[in-house]
Amino acid sequence: MTAVPEPSSHAVRRVVIAVNGGPSDERIVRIACELARPTKAELVAVHVVEIGWSLPLDADVAARSEDAQRVLDIVEGTAEKERMKAETVLLQARDVGAAIVDEASERGADLLVVGLPYRKRFGGDFAIGRTVPYILKNAPCAVMVIREPMTGESSP
Amino acid sequence: MIGGRRPLPGRKPADRRVRVERPHSPYFRYTGPGQMVAKEAASRAPTPAGRALARARAVVFGRPLANEEEIGERLAKRKALAIFSSDAISSSAYATEEILKVLIIAAGAGALAYSVGVSVAIAVLLAVVSLSYRQVCRAYPSGGGAYVVARENLSQLLGLVAAAALLIDYVMTVAVSTASAIEQIQSVIPQVYDIRIEIAFLSISLITIGNLRGLRESGNIFAIPTYLFVGLALLMIGVGVLHIVTGTVVPIDQTDVYSPPATETLTLFLLLKAFAGGSVALTGVEAIANGVPAFKPPESRNAANTLTVMSLLLGILFVGITVVSRAYNVLPTEPGGPSVVALVAQSVFGASSWFVPAFAVATALILFLAANTSFNAFPRLAAILAEDGFMPRQFSFRGDRLAYSWGIVVLAAVAFGLLAAFGGDTHALIPLYSVGVFVCFTLSQIGMVRHWIGVHGPGWHWRAAVNAFGAALTAIVFVVVVSVKFVDGAYLVVILVPLLVGMMLFIRHQYAASSTELAVRPDFVSGEPRREERVVVPVPGINRSVVQAVNVGRSISDDVRAVYISDDQDRAASMREQWERQMPGVPLVLVESPYRALVGPLLAYLDVLDRAWPPDREDPITFVVIPEYVARHWWERILYNQSAKRLRTALLGRPHTVVVNAPYRREDPSSFEPAAAGSGPATDPTQPPSAG
Repeated sequence: MTAVPEPSSHAVRRVVIAVNGGPSDERIVRIACELARPTKAELVAVHVVEIGWSLPLDADVAARSEDAQRVLDIVEGTAEKERMKAETVLLQARDVGAAIVDEASERGADLLVVGLPYRKRFGGDFAIGRTVPYILKNAPCAVMVIREPMTGESSP
Repeated sequence: MIGGRRPLPGRKPADRRVRVERPHSPYFRYTGPGQMVAKEAASRAPTPAGRALARARAVVFGRPLANEEEIGERLAKRKALAIFSSDAISSSAYATEEILKVLIIAAGAGALAYSVGVSVAIAVLLAVVSLSYRQVCRAYPSGGGAYVVARENLSQLLGLVAAAALLIDYVMTVAVSTASAIEQIQSVIPQVYDIRIEIAFLSISLITIGNLRGLRESGNIFAIPTYLFVGLALLMIGVGVLHIVTGTVVPIDQTDVYSPPATETLTLFLLLKAFAGGSVALTGVEAIANGVPAFKPPESRNAANTLTVMSLLLGILFVGITVVSRAYNVLPTEPGGPSVVALVAQSVFGASSWFVPAFAVATALILFLAANTSFNAFPRLAAILAEDGFMPRQFSFRGDRLAYSWGIVVLAAVAFGLLAAFGGDTHALIPLYSVGVFVCFTLSQIGMVRHWIGVHGPGWHWRAAVNAFGAALTAIVFVVVVSVKFVDGAYLVVILVPLLVGMMLFIRHQYAASSTELAVRPDFVSGEPRREERVVVPVPGINRSVVQAVNVGRSISDDVRAVYISDDQDRAASMREQWERQMPGVPLVLVESPYRALVGPLLAYLDVLDRAWPPDREDPITFVVIPEYVARHWWERILYNQSAKRLRTALLGRPHTVVVNAPYRREDPSSFEPAAAGSGPATDPTQPPSAG
């Protein structure tokens, strides 16, 4: 599930963090900061707003959405608390996973950190969703998936 | 489209994405729905000159600090001791001398032998006062010292008396300590006398800049001299006591002993006078209780412990220097001669020792730095008073470095003004000094007695007893100090304190009156505006800025009229013709001004408009829209908008009138082509109604 770069063989220079505005954002940003600090790696936080097919891709959605802007502002603040600086990128795309992978490869990231909420499908099976498998399958760089801890109710 | 950005290609045609610009991001950060926090860049100056100034400020004062960095600016005990104790500890450099100068009058009657006893009595008083202020630190962690204690437990007025006395005292401390430090230098280098004002200015400026750089940095800058003095003085006392114990004391020979008219009787009054003289050692003890919030958490405990260490150090230094000075039979010299503490250094180590000049430098430095305690205590007290509405609100604003910049600058200015006015000779001020502090000690301790009686907490009996004892002692000292120094100048305090209290009450009254006038009832709900509005646009001719101003006026109200004031009938007629052709639908009022005045006729016209308004209807709001031309360079500002400025000043505060500036920028997208191109009269585009 997790592919961590070997620190000795490969120094991390650019870390892309995919954030979705969920409760685990802060945790993954802090972890990414810890990973980036020793090599003073660049941090890029990416948040993707999915645009349905009923709207044009460049519809004025994310720019006007305070919520979307706030997701990245919180990341910026968390990184600052960790004494790191994070560049923020807000994207609109049809598919979140594809946009994250494309952005990470365009920026030459050597580590992609992504959070995964602990959810269960109807029937009790763990639901991994679409985005994380897509990233794991297609990302050109190392990928670190941080699944949020099970809460009391969700634990098996 | 978003920012005109084209979609970026993805791995597959359907994977395209668009990067969305975040224009707020350099300046603000969203923290909640409809809520933003400004970043440092939002406060950055927009012009190159402003940015250059900001860079220069950053070099002198340091980079601006954010509110959340406040905790990092708090003081650890070691730095706090240096900052808050320099005043108290520096007084050990001259307190012994003050006692000896009194007792030498009855030297024949063996009075000098009492100097040690007097210093011990003062040390006991110091212990009581310190114990009391330790309790103040714990009971009032928000700081404020005597003012807050008196305000809470006695009355608002007595609180203000304490505050006024303290404020005066802090100013005095800066002036007097700077002057005495210069005197110290002067006793080594007499030529310094000619440039004493310049040295005072330099020293006060350096301390001011140090303090404007913020607490932590001023702690860094000022800690070394304080600890240097403490270390050297302790060494001196230690060696002196060793000599006493081993019986190797060699009393020195003094030639220029201070010899006031002597008496042969040792009276109780003389002892009290010596006690009062030596009590200057206690000034500055209250500073820590004023500045509790400057300490790192736990603030109260750290402040109380720092206070204890400071008092112990002061007590040891003061009694130690007195004991050693007696053993070596050191006596005060005539004015201009070396100080007692310098003589003690010479006696203990020998006149040729390296220690003597080193100690002289340390003494001069600590005396300069005694002012630093005031620079911390005065602004804090002023800020608390400002928060309570007794001082102008600016005193409670923190500057770029989280320091109370207003208080710091005002203190520096007043203290330097005093020094300059007295020609750098502050002997005349010394009687005022230390009077205020005993008012505060007494009031705060009486306040604490009432506090303990009210609280009834564990051990309240003995706590109240300590404070009551302290109050009685400090009250006695106060009476003695005032009676001894009254004629010399202490009467000034009696005049200044009520004056300051009166001023503070007046300020409070003003703030209270204005806030009553401005208050909105809790049940008030703002409805639709119901007053009628009309617009008057003073015009100097027809040009783009005028057209824009008229259009701004039209967006405010339908009732818009332009006013053209001229001293030339022909030009007025041509203006009327052009106006009707180019600005249809906007009435133009031509006012002929044979005396070439501009502002007067316009104001008179507005008055006439008001009088013509039907008396049964509520007065309308008159918007005076002034066309302005935005200058690109600083020198252009001299060329344009002078009449607009005069007009704005004249209209300021006029009832039912709102002044609107309609600025026209050369860069503004032109909506005038081709209508206005070359059609206006050759007027200065920004000369609103100009008669000539």
